[in-house]
Amino acid sequence: MYLSTVLTDLTNDKHWQKVNSVSVLKYYFNLFMAYSTYYLQYAINMFADYPPEVKVAVLVTVLCAVLMLIMGIALFSLSLKRKHWNRIHRRFERKYGEKMDYMFSADAQKKMSKYEIADVFDIPHERIGKEILKNRREKEVFVQIFYQKFITERADYTNRENITEVLYLFGIPEFLEKEVSLRSTSKKADAMSKIRTFKLPISTWVINKLLSSKYLSVQRLAMYSNIMLSSDTDLDYFETDFFDKHSCIKDEMELAYSLQRRRRAGLKLPNLARWANLQKNEHSQCMFVRLMRRFDELEYCGQLTKLYTTQTRKKKLIEEISRTWGYLHYTEGEDLLIDALLTQPDDTKVAIMHALTRFATGKGIGALLEGYRNTTNPHVRFEALRCMYNYGKKGRAMFYELEKNAKEQDKKFFDFFKNPITLERIRLDKEQAYHPSVETIYNG
Amino acid sequence: MWILIYYIFCYLIFFYTMMLMVSYMYLVIMSHRAQKHLSVNIPDDETIKYFLQGSPLTPAVSIIAPAFNEEVTILDNVNSLMNIDYPNFEIIIVNDASTDRTLELLINEYSLVEVPYDIAMKVQSKPIKRVLKSTEEKYSKLVVVDKEHGGKKADGSNAGINVCSNKYFVCTDVDCIIEPMALYRMMWLVVNSHRPMIGVSATMLMSNGCIVEDGRVVEAAVPNTLIPMFQQLEYLRSFLISKLGWSCINALPNISGGFGLFDTDVAVKSGGYDPTSMAEDVDMLLRMVTYMKNTGQDFRLAQVPKVCCWTEGPGSVKTLCRQRIRWARGLFEIISNHRKLFFNPRYGPIGSFVLPYIFIFEFIAPVLELTGFLFMIWLILTGGVNWDSAIILFGMIYIFSVFMASFVIFFDYSAKAVEWKNTKLSYLKLLMVTLLEPFFYHPIITYCSNVGYWQFISNQTSVWKPIQRQGVKKKKS
Repeated sequence: MYLSTVLTDLTNDKHWQKVNSVSVLKYYFNLFMAYSTYYLQYAINMFADYPPEVKVAVLVTVLCAVLMLIMGIALFSLSLKRKHWNRIHRRFERKYGEKMDYMFSADAQKKMSKYEIADVFDIPHERIGKEILKNRREKEVFVQIFYQKFITERADYTNRENITEVLYLFGIPEFLEKEVSLRSTSKKADAMSKIRTFKLPISTWVINKLLSSKYLSVQRLAMYSNIMLSSDTDLDYFETDFFDKHSCIKDEMELAYSLQRRRRAGLKLPNLARWANLQKNEHSQCMFVRLMRRFDELEYCGQLTKLYTTQTRKKKLIEEISRTWGYLHYTEGEDLLIDALLTQPDDTKVAIMHALTRFATGKGIGALLEGYRNTTNPHVRFEALRCMYNYGKKGRAMFYELEKNAKEQDKKFFDFFKNPITLERIRLDKEQAYHPSVETIYNG
Repeated sequence: MWILIYYIFCYLIFFYTMMLMVSYMYLVIMSHRAQKHLSVNIPDDETIKYFLQGSPLTPAVSIIAPAFNEEVTILDNVNSLMNIDYPNFEIIIVNDASTDRTLELLINEYSLVEVPYDIAMKVQSKPIKRVLKSTEEKYSKLVVVDKEHGGKKADGSNAGINVCSNKYFVCTDVDCIIEPMALYRMMWLVVNSHRPMIGVSATMLMSNGCIVEDGRVVEAAVPNTLIPMFQQLEYLRSFLISKLGWSCINALPNISGGFGLFDTDVAVKSGGYDPTSMAEDVDMLLRMVTYMKNTGQDFRLAQVPKVCCWTEGPGSVKTLCRQRIRWARGLFEIISNHRKLFFNPRYGPIGSFVLPYIFIFEFIAPVLELTGFLFMIWLILTGGVNWDSAIILFGMIYIFSVFMASFVIFFDYSAKAVEWKNTKLSYLKLLMVTLLEPFFYHPIITYCSNVGYWQFISNQTSVWKPIQRQGVKKKKS
């Protein structure tokens, strides 16, 4: 009854007499609304006499059904989208895949001109400098395929200049720069990391724009890129307590990577000890001290003395400074380490003993013995023995002397260092030993 | 009086059901949020690998796998562990005094010799008899620990923790099939976390029905038999909705003993696994959280939304019942041992929300369901059922459970959690079991939970029996 009244009203409406596309749409929309209202009314009337819990149950059931319908539609559209993407991906893989592989192979070792590269990709010379890929989607797919090959084949490719030339030929640097400056945060971060991976130069204005981004992740990526690329040594990012509590292992990895790239490019490295001094947060301070160790910044080690003597409550920091001095052979710090040994907590004691072993000047041997005797912690005793064993002739003699008088239960400690298999396990190169977790088993 | 009790009970059940549905919806929303967040922050596997493989700062990991009488599969399983792709890891196989040829096979295959080793008993375990390492360079990652029989996986895991030398350790079962990229996926969350990551849970699915080649799942498929099929759906729901949802508010209540990553230092300081516990994985995680909260340290717990590990689940009702009774006892034990955490805001969202949720909606649910079932029978016998209302209410619950399962499928597809060999067929199977689950599977689980609770209350001793393995399908060459 209700439905028929609504439909009669609709057909008598003057607006419906002028039939055009908008009014047809409007007509169907109103029709849909009329039907919906009718059935809703019908449902309400049908359950009018039921208790409220049944009405709630019906409502929940309808809601679930609607949500399932929406999910079904979303699933369907997602699958269409993926199919479309995969189709372009396959087409590009067929068209450019083998050619890309060739560029990464040993056959493309010598530097090629842009015309030669265009020939490899079957691109007419007159198209060079023009848009080869039609739209954003195509560029996105091309970058994706190229990126996949770049990161999986990296051991094989030999000529980076050719690789960069390919990217320029297809207008990828401009595309990525555009993505970085225009797209959403995730796209920005993604494009930025691709620029870093391909080691493409990036305009300063783009970096400056990103440095002022409100998103920390974008800001940091820009900062790391700038550290990598800028010829300026006075990079002032860490003049403030930049990281506060929000740094992670990845930040350290990214910083290490950027500094590494910088060093390879022949650029001067910044003074990391200064940055360590400027940070307030222990975690960030430790990070910069570890990076000093990694990048052999011996000339700045003296600047850590102030931190070592004033920040005595920061156990991790003291531990990292001790390790760094040891690795970099900053022998001026040896007296400080010997003085501090017995008053430090166990983990720091171990780090100091390792540092003294690395110096092996002869001064620290007494401290090692004291370290061994003045502790009840088996781990510290064990590490003291390890250090003695590796200290040189004097240390080795002391080790055997202690072994003679050792109790039966301690014998296994002494055996440990003499076994070639376990030594094989702990004989790590400097690169691996840099990592704090494996450094604890470093045998000097 | 009886009528009053009748009404109170009916309304209690109704509100309980509504609250349960609201909390499920909350979890659905949270897991969806987490998935959105992770899709932005987790790149594809190759990029993760490129980044972590290329850095000398990638944290090292120890994989601990206790083994007891595994002579049939031990070599395949160790080879599978060796296939894991990660730049810096060690494998610690703990032989819990096997009475078969497990250790002998390992010694012969990998040329193992006894080595003196620095073993500080950081956590409680039965004495370690010896530590063996290979004389061959290619097996340098492998450490085999031979210990006295502890009888529990927890004891073996603790022995592994005592030997492990890395900042992070992964605890797994020796018969689990681990995805080659699993460690990369887990460690990506660790290196990206701005707070100290103390535990990462990995998504784990059933290997029943999958095809395995060289210790790797090459064709992922939903099992063909009904019991494993139900469990596959249950696992997907648990990992992709519950755990991911809870991880969004940093309140993951459990990291599976099958495959989970932990911070070694925090695990040691919390006392490691408890060999007397029936649910040692939940127990250790809760102790780790308690330790971090009591010492005022910030921490993070996370869930990997992609499948990292495959395990063979019970294939028959009998073995399923045995497993679920054990789990129910474990839950009861957790509730009684960690009661001070419940409704305690001092322990953050885990104390305020998650544990109360587990208590109200997971612990009490089987008892209420059983009571409701008996009550329904009584009503039918006395003719007190309003059939119209009963059917509508049942329809609501049924549609809701189907909705939850559909969301799992939607989620799995959008997050690409599993690369199914035949996606359409797999989803079709899952949809089919979704429709059957409330009638067949759920009553079994309810029954087992009640039996488990009863065994715990009546202090019946339980003997842990390993699941009868049927083995996985191997690809024909």
